[in-house]
Amino acid sequence: MMFTTLAIISFLCSLAGLYRLLVGPTMTDRVIGLDLLFAIGVLFCLLSAWMNQNSLYLDVAIGLALTGFIATLAWSKLIQQPQQTVAKPEEDS
Amino acid sequence: MSILIGAITTLAFALLIIAAIGVIRLPNALARQHAVTKAATLSLSLLIIAMMLVAVQMDWSGAWLIKLSLLLVLLLITLPLASHALARSSLYEEKNR
Repeated sequence: MMFTTLAIISFLCSLAGLYRLLVGPTMTDRVIGLDLLFAIGVLFCLLSAWMNQNSLYLDVAIGLALTGFIATLAWSKLIQQPQQTVAKPEEDS
Repeated sequence: MSILIGAITTLAFALLIIAAIGVIRLPNALARQHAVTKAATLSLSLLIIAMMLVAVQMDWSGAWLIKLSLLLVLLLITLPLASHALARSSLYEEKNR
């Protein structure tokens, strides 16, 4: 009963992250939503490890935390690149 | 002991709800990043501490404590770095709009 309530609360909070991921006006807002989703993924791994009393889920949580860190760093470096203008091919008239 | 575990878990999920409210309602990207990173870091750390207390109380194997402390150290190292990178990219986007 307790774990069901906690999982429902986490799911509702992940909806907030999904909203910011889909709607966010700038690129950084989308990455922030992704960051919240990764944090909630780690939290779900912890909850399932606690509920099933199986420590294998903690390995999944460690891997997910590292993946989220690398993903956030890569996206922020990608946002800070100067905008490249794609050269349009010359139209022959 | 179990009252303490319940209180820490409740505090962790209250912080998660605060992070979710902040990511919806705050006005710009820098403020949203501030809300998400701090609240989510503290929430995950508190949940890990509560699970450590459970593992000590229920006398589970030592692998629980090792993995949980590794995850705690890893989160406390990586999440501020991610927050810093997000703040820099937010400033960059605000400057070059």
